[in-house]
Amino acid sequence: MTTETAARLPEQTDVKAAAATLEGHAITTALVESQFLNERAGARVLVKAESLQRSGSFKYRGAFNRLSRLDAAARRRGVVAFPRGNHVFGVAAAARDLGIPATIVMANDDPSWKISVCRAYQAEMVLFERKHEDWAELNRRLEALGVRVADERGATIIRPHDDAEVTAGHGTVGLDIVAQARALDAHLDAVLVPCARGGLTAGVALALSAASPDTEIFAVEPVGFDDTARSLAAGALLSNEDGAQSICDGLLSPSQGELNFALNRRLVTGGLVVPDSETLKAMKVAFSDLKLVAEPSGAIGLGAILSGIFDARGKTVCVICSGGNVDSATFRSALETGP
Amino acid sequence: MSGASHTPGTPSLDAPEPPTLADIGRAAGSLADRAVFTPLVESPLLNDRLGCRVLAKAEVLQRTGSFKFRGAFNRLSKLNEDERRMGVVAYSSGNHAQGVAAAARIVGTSATIFMPKDAPATKVLNTRRHGAEVRFYDRATENREEMAEALARERGGVVVRPYEDPDVIAGQGTVGLEIASQARRMGIHLDAVLVPCGGGGLSAGTALAIAGASPETRVYSVEPQGFDDMARSLAADARKRNAGGGQSMCDALLMPEPGALTFAVARGRLAGGLAVGDAATRRAMVTAFADLNLVVEPSGAVALAAVLAEAIETSGRTLVVVLTGGNVDPETFSEVLASEEWPPA
Repeated sequence: MTTETAARLPEQTDVKAAAATLEGHAITTALVESQFLNERAGARVLVKAESLQRSGSFKYRGAFNRLSRLDAAARRRGVVAFPRGNHVFGVAAAARDLGIPATIVMANDDPSWKISVCRAYQAEMVLFERKHEDWAELNRRLEALGVRVADERGATIIRPHDDAEVTAGHGTVGLDIVAQARALDAHLDAVLVPCARGGLTAGVALALSAASPDTEIFAVEPVGFDDTARSLAAGALLSNEDGAQSICDGLLSPSQGELNFALNRRLVTGGLVVPDSETLKAMKVAFSDLKLVAEPSGAIGLGAILSGIFDARGKTVCVICSGGNVDSATFRSALETGP
Repeated sequence: MSGASHTPGTPSLDAPEPPTLADIGRAAGSLADRAVFTPLVESPLLNDRLGCRVLAKAEVLQRTGSFKFRGAFNRLSKLNEDERRMGVVAYSSGNHAQGVAAAARIVGTSATIFMPKDAPATKVLNTRRHGAEVRFYDRATENREEMAEALARERGGVVVRPYEDPDVIAGQGTVGLEIASQARRMGIHLDAVLVPCGGGGLSAGTALAIAGASPETRVYSVEPQGFDDMARSLAADARKRNAGGGQSMCDALLMPEPGALTFAVARGRLAGGLAVGDAATRRAMVTAFADLNLVVEPSGAVALAAVLAEAIETSGRTLVVVLTGGNVDPETFSEVLASEEWPPA
C-alpha cells in the first residue's frame, strides 16, 4: 500500500523546518556575480548556483526533506520516483544518503547517461519500452507503472510537485538567496525561477513573501511550455498543447501542479517565456562569465535577462541556475552559438 | 620590500623578504570585501569512482575567473599615491594580467601588461575589458621581465610580478587559509592539498598557510610533464630549469624554473611535486564539467588530473584539489569535450 503526504499547502514554518533538516546535507550553494555579466545586462545579476547542489540540481533539497520525514517502517519499504528530469537524480541521491532503497521508473530509451547516473546512486531501475506515445500517454504509462511498482513493495511514491515537504525543501533556496543578498548589501528587485510544475517557484515565492516581500517573483518557461505565464495572466490553471519541443528537458511539463498554482497565483508577479535560441546563448555566457556549467533549464532565467525579455536594466536581480546536468553534445552546441 | 627592483634569480642585497603567515592573515583581511571566499565543491559519484574524497577549491569562481586576483589586489592595495598616479606594469600569461587589470581599476591606477602573442584570445580580451593596456611578447625569444622593467624605468611606476613578490605570494596564500578554515568548519581532516604550479606563487603561499593552519596536511605542487621544474627543484633542494622544447596545453604553467622567492618559501614546506600529462588534464576538464558542473581551463585542471592519474596514493583519503582558473576559449573547451569520453569513466 502506498502512503502519500496529505495534499496541503506548505507554509513558512515548513520552509524553516526544511532548512533545519537540510543543514549539513544540502549545500548552501554560492551566489555568483560577474562584473562582465553585470556590464552585459546593465544590471546587478546574482546567480544562485544550484548547479553546484548535491546531485547537480536543486531537486536534492525537496527530495531530502521529504525522505527525511518518512518513518522507519516507510523507509524500509523504500521510495519510487519517475521523471521528469533532475527529480529522479535528487531522489536517488537523497535516498542513498539516507539509506533508503529507491526504485526509479524510466523509459528504456531515455538517454543512457541518465539511467547510468541513477544506477550510480544505487537506485534500482525499472525500465519500460516506449511506444510512439505522445507526452500525455507517456506520462500516464509512467504513472501507472510507478503506482504498480510502489504498490507491490509498499513503497512511497515521491512526486516532484504538489507535495508540501518537497516544495518546502525547494523553498530553502529562497531563504539562502535572501541571506546571501543581505550579506552583499544587495536589495533584490526580482528573482527569476525556471518553472515546470511550479514546485521551485512556489517554494521560493513562499520563502520570499515573508523574508523579502518587496521582491517580485517571475516564473520562466520555454516557448511552447508557457502554461504558467498564461495561467497567471488568466487566473486559472491552464495547460500546454501537445507537440511542442524544447531543449529545456527539465521544463517540459503540460501544466503546473494544482497546489503549486494555488501558491503561485497569489505570490508570483508573472511569467517570462524564452525561446531556446536565447537559452543556448545564456549557457554560453554562463560558461564564459561565470565558469558555471548550466543545463538549458538552468540557464533559461539568464536567457530572459540577456535577451531583454525581462528588462533588468538598473535593477538587482537574482537568477536561479537550477541545475547543471547536461550532456556534452548539447553543451558544445551552446558554445558554438555566436558571441 | 614592495617596490624594490629585483632581477629574478640573482641574489641581491635588496632581495624581498619572504612573506610570513601573519602576512597571509593580513592579506585575508584586505581581500575580505573584494575577493570571493570560494566554495569547496564535491560530487558523491566522483568520490565513488575515485575511491577517495575530493574537495575542489573552486577558484574558477574567483573574481576575474582565477585565483590571481588575490595576489594582484593584495599587492596593489599597498601602492602609495605617487605609485598609483604613475600606473603599474605587469607581465603575464593571462590570468595575472586579468587580476592586475581588475585590481588596478578598483584601486584607481592604470595598468600596462605584457602578454604572450599566443595567449588565449579570451584572456587578452578580458584583460582589455578590465581597462588595462596590453602589449605582446614572444614567449620563445623575448624576455618579458626586461621589457616590463624597461617600461617601468622609462615612465616610472611599479612592476607587479606574477609570483616573485611577497605581497603577491601572501595574497595567493589566502587560498590555503580558506581551505584550512573550511575543512575545520566541516569537521574533516585533510590528508593533502594539490596545487597547480607555474612560477610557484600559489604553491608557496598555500604551503605556508597550510603549514601554519593545518600542519598535518601535506601540500603538493602539480605541473605539466616536461615543465616539472618545481618537482625537480624540490627533489634536488636546489632550483632547476626545464630543458626547452616541451609542449603542453597548460598555457599558464610553462615557466622554465620556479622563482627564487617562491622556491625559498616552498622548499621544506611542500611535500613534493607531481607531474601530469595533457591526456590526464583533458580528462580532468571533462570530469569537472560532468561531475562538478564547473568550467576549468587546462592549467586549472592539473591538480584534479593528478588525482585521476593516481600520481599519489589517494585511496581512502580526503584531498583538496585547487581548480585555479576557468579562463578557457570556448573553442578549446569544445574540442576537449568532443574528443574525450563522456560521461567520464
